[in-house]
Amino acid sequence: MEEEAEEESGLGRSAAPKDFHFYHMDLYDSEDRLQLFPGDSSRIRREVTQAEDDRELGDEFVDEHRLGTLGYPSYGMRRRDPGREPRDWGEAAEAEDLGYGGGQGPLDQCQDLREAYRYTHGRASEEYECYVIPEEEDEEEPADVFCITCKTPVRTVEKDFDTHKEHEVTPISKALEHAKDEIHKNMCKLEQQIIEMENFASHLEEVFITVEENFGRQEQNFECHYNGILETLAQKYEEKIQALGEKKREKLEALYGQLVSCGENLDACRELMETVEEMCHEEKVEFLKDAVAMTDRLGKFLKTKTDVELSAQPEFEDQTLDFSDVEQLMDAINTIPAPSAPVINPQAPDSATGSSVRVCWSLYSDDTVESYQLSYRPVQDSSSGKDRAEFTMTVKETYCSVINLEPNTQYEFWVVAQNRTGPSPSSEHAVYMTAPSPPSIKTEAIRSCEEAVLICWESGNLNPVDSYTVELIQAETPEASGVTESVIGIPTCESLIQLQPRHSYTIYVRALNMGGTSARSEPATVHTTGSYFQLNKDTCHPWLTISEDGFTVVRSEKKSFRKELPPSKTQFTRCVAVMGNLIPVRGRHYWEVEVAEHLDYTVGVACEDVPKQEDLGANSLSWCMRHTFVSKRHRYEFLHNKTTPDIRITVAPRKIGVLLDYENAKLSFFNVDIAQHLYTFSCQLHQFVHPCFSLEKSGCLKICNGISMPKHVTFF
Amino acid sequence: MALKQISSNRCFGGLQKVFEHSSVELKCKMKFAVYLPPQAESGKCPALYWLSGLTCTEQNFISKSGYQQAASEHGLVVIAPDTSPRGCNIKGEDDSWDFGTGAGFYVNATEDPWKANYRMYSYVTEELPQLINANFPVDPQRMSIFGHSMGGHGALICALKNPGKYRAYDATCLVKAYSGSQIDILIDQGKDDEFLSNGQLLPDNFIAACTEKKIPVVFRLQEGYDHSYYFIATFIADHIRHHAKYLNA
Repeated sequence: MEEEAEEESGLGRSAAPKDFHFYHMDLYDSEDRLQLFPGDSSRIRREVTQAEDDRELGDEFVDEHRLGTLGYPSYGMRRRDPGREPRDWGEAAEAEDLGYGGGQGPLDQCQDLREAYRYTHGRASEEYECYVIPEEEDEEEPADVFCITCKTPVRTVEKDFDTHKEHEVTPISKALEHAKDEIHKNMCKLEQQIIEMENFASHLEEVFITVEENFGRQEQNFECHYNGILETLAQKYEEKIQALGEKKREKLEALYGQLVSCGENLDACRELMETVEEMCHEEKVEFLKDAVAMTDRLGKFLKTKTDVELSAQPEFEDQTLDFSDVEQLMDAINTIPAPSAPVINPQAPDSATGSSVRVCWSLYSDDTVESYQLSYRPVQDSSSGKDRAEFTMTVKETYCSVINLEPNTQYEFWVVAQNRTGPSPSSEHAVYMTAPSPPSIKTEAIRSCEEAVLICWESGNLNPVDSYTVELIQAETPEASGVTESVIGIPTCESLIQLQPRHSYTIYVRALNMGGTSARSEPATVHTTGSYFQLNKDTCHPWLTISEDGFTVVRSEKKSFRKELPPSKTQFTRCVAVMGNLIPVRGRHYWEVEVAEHLDYTVGVACEDVPKQEDLGANSLSWCMRHTFVSKRHRYEFLHNKTTPDIRITVAPRKIGVLLDYENAKLSFFNVDIAQHLYTFSCQLHQFVHPCFSLEKSGCLKICNGISMPKHVTFF
Repeated sequence: MALKQISSNRCFGGLQKVFEHSSVELKCKMKFAVYLPPQAESGKCPALYWLSGLTCTEQNFISKSGYQQAASEHGLVVIAPDTSPRGCNIKGEDDSWDFGTGAGFYVNATEDPWKANYRMYSYVTEELPQLINANFPVDPQRMSIFGHSMGGHGALICALKNPGKYRAYDATCLVKAYSGSQIDILIDQGKDDEFLSNGQLLPDNFIAACTEKKIPVVFRLQEGYDHSYYFIATFIADHIRHHAKYLNA
């Protein structure tokens, strides 16, 4: 039997206990299966394919299988999907059985267990939920009670007999339940274990990889260091050899020098010898003459000391080898280098607020870093002598939100990485900018009409910003869900925006620079009902005063005899008048003026550059209605270019409605109280015009804004 | 009362028609002109009555004034009756241009032989409106009256004697006393109108009376204009708009 053969070979099985086959936990896919037990995988594979083929048969076989001796009810197998990859050893076991007709040998017990837990790699327990208990195929009557003591099913009748007489029994069904529960519990535990082992296995895989990586790093490290050391040694060797060479040369030169002087000496000696010999062969008189000279010469010569000492010793000094720096290098093998310079990132768009920026950097190497030092200071255009305050902070991450900064300001940032060896070189300096402060809307100068609004604001920042954004919310209350419309890229501190008529809007303004967007300004509310305008104080004649709220114009009683006012382009100097600032939109505008019955007044419109030294209506740049009360009679004139039609009005208006219609080129006046149309100018308005008001005598008039056009007005 | 259509012409998207009928008040056949604006095809429109001046018939206004454009724009039915009963064969009716034929003055005569036929006031204020209301798509609650010269006077007296009947009033004539509901009067007077210069028209008195009575009037003295239909044509649109303001409110 194959099984027994394996048993005997015991190759891969030495560690495994005899009673169990090794539980093949699939660490890798079946293809990549780690060849722990080389013999096995091929066996499993063979069995697996066999199992597929024999599956049909297998079911039947199992059902027939007897487990009576064990006392465990046998479990049937659910029919499997044919397409599934059969990687479980249960089936393998089954195949084994098939191969050998499945007798009950000593290993049968284990087989039975395996069968009992038809385990498939990674499956949940729901597959095991339906247990089918096959019929016991004993020829005898079925057992109907369970003997707890013997752990065996018996028949009630048997119970009373000897073996089980004293034993406790319990009905079979109960015993079944109990056994099922037990098995089920154990199975759950097994599953738990499986999961744990799987997790552990994948963790181990990761650790494998990490080990490889760490090894790689260390290998590199060693290589580096050893190379360093080798280079140093080689260098030292070269140096020493060179020094020795030098020394040799010196010695040889010295000795050679000596040799040369020796030779010279020898020559001199020989020459003298020859001379003496020659002298000896001379005549006596000659000889005596020369002898004296010669004796002197010889004496002199011999007096000079001949140096017979060696100028250079043949031996070389003992060399000392200084390996201290090599030792240092070797010791340093375990020290990690200081890190390389980090790379500071450019500012991410919209990541700044008015008082903070988020600085990020990265380290493009495997260096160990313990912390980073982030430094910054404000960028200044002028190279002023004074020190710029510099700040430094230590962080552990590769980013930092720096707070307490000034808005709309540029700061230079740089970062240094540190580990226990020391600091890295500094990164490049990157410039980050804080977002600007929010602007503030000039609410008192908002001009609007039914179709548009003109808002202006103050920047809120000392230095220029890049642009502004206006946000509009059309709703009665800003909290109510209103869609926010945004107008972006506004270059100046004012904006003319188109709106829907008869609505309320809440408006915010934000400033933008390269750092990001400021917080919202305080809101302003706009109602697109009627027209809103303010009086232009610059145009106001000195004898007129404008009330606090800006809508009542007063000419006081007392006459101030001032001298002639110098002519002005903006201020009315003759006509006691004031002009408003109407929104420059070529639509329809409507406003009302309240007057007293006996007041002398003029109301209408005029171009911005209407001559300020003339009366309203006296030129082609103004159109107005004038009322004069003289001799108890009301006189009405509708003036343009000094001309007026002849119009009589019987009921003096107290509230005058003024309708300016650019499109239809009309300017109309109404008695609001009785809805009476008074007069309409047809005027070609090429320029924008503004409301104008003047008081010919003391009194006051009141301007009313934001009134939607009454119906009767719409006929004109 | 059967109506006989005499003519019909499409004009500014509407229809200018002339009808004839037998009048009960005037005891003769009377013609009148009716302009139906395009809006009359789909619903009831307000009615504006025009009273012509001396010597006119129902034709003068509809041919010369060019009012149809404004009437079409504002969706008003404009009714222009004749100025007096015709063909009654009363002795002396054709003797003068400003008395008798073509000079009904929109009053009910009180003396013989005129009082049987010359009942223009009743005709204009009662019979004609009833006829119009029954036969044309008009809203009986929205009615207005205006006119020129004798007709102006007529419009005024009709309005002032029937406070609340007419929404807006228009006169080129005098009024003495009125104590009715809110009215709003628009008057245009040609400055070169010979009737003005020879004193037949006395607008100042009228204005003074209105001022005193606090009756809202806008009186416009139009430089260079006379009494003719050219003058009427120039300002008729303003007047129709004036009426439309109240009729279409």
